[in-house]
Amino acid sequence: MRTNKLCAVLSGIKKFEDLKPLTNKRPLATLPFDCKYRLIDFPLSSIVNASINTIFMIFNEDETQSVFDHLGGGKEWNLDAIQHHYFIHLYQEFLKKKERGEPYYDKLIDYLHKSKSEYTVVMGSKILCNIDLQAVLNVHQNQKNDITVVYKRVPENRIMATDNLLNLSDTGTITGAYLLEDAQERGDAHNLSMEIYMVQTEWLIDLLEKGQMEGSSADLHVIIQSQIQKIKSSAYEYTGYLGNIFDIDSYYQVSMDMLEVNKFNSLLYSNKKIYTKLKNEVPTYYSENSQVKNSHFATGCFIEGNVKNSLLSRKTIIKSGAEVADSIVLPNVSIEENATVKYAILDKNVIVESGAEVIGTPDNIKVVAKGAVVSKEG
Amino acid sequence: MKNDMLAMILAGGQGTRLGKITKTIAKPAVPFGGRYRIIDFTLSNCANSRIGNVGVVTQYQPLTLNRHIGNGASWGLDGIDTGVTILQPFSSSEGSKWFAGTAHAIYQNIDYINDINPQYILILSGDHIYKMDYGEMLETHQKNNASLTIAVIEVPTEEASRFGIMNIDENDRIIEFEEKPENPKSNLASMGIYIFNWERLKNILINSYNKEDNMLDFGQHVIPFYLNSAENVFVHRFEGYWKDVGTIDSLWQSNMDFISPDNELNMRDKGWRVFGKNTISPPHFLTKTASVSHSLIVDGCFVSGKVENSILSSDVQVKENAVIKDSFIMPGAVIGKGAYINRAIVGEHAIIGTDAVIDGTDEIAVVGYSEVIGVKIDEN
Repeated sequence: MRTNKLCAVLSGIKKFEDLKPLTNKRPLATLPFDCKYRLIDFPLSSIVNASINTIFMIFNEDETQSVFDHLGGGKEWNLDAIQHHYFIHLYQEFLKKKERGEPYYDKLIDYLHKSKSEYTVVMGSKILCNIDLQAVLNVHQNQKNDITVVYKRVPENRIMATDNLLNLSDTGTITGAYLLEDAQERGDAHNLSMEIYMVQTEWLIDLLEKGQMEGSSADLHVIIQSQIQKIKSSAYEYTGYLGNIFDIDSYYQVSMDMLEVNKFNSLLYSNKKIYTKLKNEVPTYYSENSQVKNSHFATGCFIEGNVKNSLLSRKTIIKSGAEVADSIVLPNVSIEENATVKYAILDKNVIVESGAEVIGTPDNIKVVAKGAVVSKEG
Repeated sequence: MKNDMLAMILAGGQGTRLGKITKTIAKPAVPFGGRYRIIDFTLSNCANSRIGNVGVVTQYQPLTLNRHIGNGASWGLDGIDTGVTILQPFSSSEGSKWFAGTAHAIYQNIDYINDINPQYILILSGDHIYKMDYGEMLETHQKNNASLTIAVIEVPTEEASRFGIMNIDENDRIIEFEEKPENPKSNLASMGIYIFNWERLKNILINSYNKEDNMLDFGQHVIPFYLNSAENVFVHRFEGYWKDVGTIDSLWQSNMDFISPDNELNMRDKGWRVFGKNTISPPHFLTKTASVSHSLIVDGCFVSGKVENSILSSDVQVKENAVIKDSFIMPGAVIGKGAYINRAIVGEHAIIGTDAVIDGTDEIAVVGYSEVIGVKIDEN
């Protein structure tokens, strides 16, 4: 019998002020990515590709609408199959119970018991990757430590101030963790913890039970991270493409990485498929006079103008004479006649009226918030 | 409407006029328009007309078709009180049930139809490209108190002799039916779409088979019988795009029609969407060397060459310096570097080698499924 060997907990509660206005009304988890995905598709697909059939997700109470809208019945990830279960829990429930002095991890502990799985993988949604969780599990089983942390060596300019960085011994055990500001050597690459932890379920239950007695953090990632230095932990090096998204620049950079074929292939064309919500859109139409170079397009677009070095999501309309370069366009945006969009991110449902301009620079990406109308007068 | 009307899609035709294209898959499963298969139009019409129960009668090469239809979820036909049932010939104690004709296929599936127990039965074929509200046709049927209603479309008089032509009176009642008449008296062509009162049709079919006067075909046997028996037979007039894609030329032409955003099918109309099965593929990637004009492209394509007035279906690769003109490329095909393709239909997963030339200037060129053309084997 091999059912439920591994269960998954996905926590997407961290708020990213530097991603506003893109995260005004959605958690980072449902931020659109490369024309047709949302960030949550990546951890979810990794979970599903590892034949994990039960998932516990934690989100903020005011951010669930886009999560429910995206996941629906979970069909695209096969979460609606009869053997599968998924639960969505609100972080604020944990906090309220903690305030009232009640055992605040009880629902999660209950879930872990009922999953009857020997191992649990805990993930976040900030770090974009396409990882083989079964391989991580194999390493975890061989190492016989309580935690295995997934990491990748990442250049400093792609690390956020609050990211956990790891010191490793020659044998791959974790000897310490630090933040970028405390780094002994600057200007180099660091071992970035990818917020993916493989643990024994019994160990995790024990940690949560003790934690809620002692008043530890109600944030699962924080409570696990706090253990890394205390107990023997091993590290698993991820070798595929990694995108660390925490502000507008990193979101822009990681998105534009997809225009490099090797990175695009590593993330989206590997043998581990990335699943996303299916939409029934018509094929994208390119008119006689359209000019398109080095760009990605989802279906349902209507392209009459010029596009280069850009990512265009579903149902984008680009009228004739309009020019879009070095930009990210989220779904259902209209860019009308002779408008210009450069070094910009246009959120959903934006309209750039005819002749209007949205022009940023490589160092100052212009962001237009969801539903805004940009007129010629400015 | 729900169980009032059951749709039966006859998807068993061999489609021999499509040659290589239907050698390994049934005609209704032939890819169309980038991300559809031909039967998607009929299935979407059913879903949009709120017909909940659909039987799909298959016979030749049904594998791709069966996989495509699955449980009907792609068309929203997998609900609590809806469903798509694939009906294949099977052997019983009374002998094999291979379908010998359109009416025979219905007769063979009487058990299934009785199980649904509809008041009306809608007979459709799975190989036409059109958008039609079958609910309006049912209204016509009920208003006329008809026992059979046949959907018709006006065709140019000079082409009328290629169709089954309905001659009607001033009330739209059918007086005479002529199959491919030399001198057509009207230009109302049968679309092969019928609504029958099921109870009546069932009795007629059972009676005919009991008496060994086997009614095999709707056009040849059943409709003439209805007219000779003075049943109430009416037409329902349809206006709009309707195309039989039964030949290479018509399959190619209707795909070319489909590219233009102002084509009559109005594919971007959110009120009547055409659903198809989605593939799991990344967005399409047009590289620095790509050039695309007046074309349709869908998910999973990777294009470095030149695409003009063509359709690229899911997961098609077009390598550098390749040129595709006036062509329909089916899913998964790979067009090698420097290849030249003009006026062609390229089958699913076909591979066109470096610098290969497929030229259909005189007659539409066809590359079969998984066919490999012009790939040089490197001896080293």
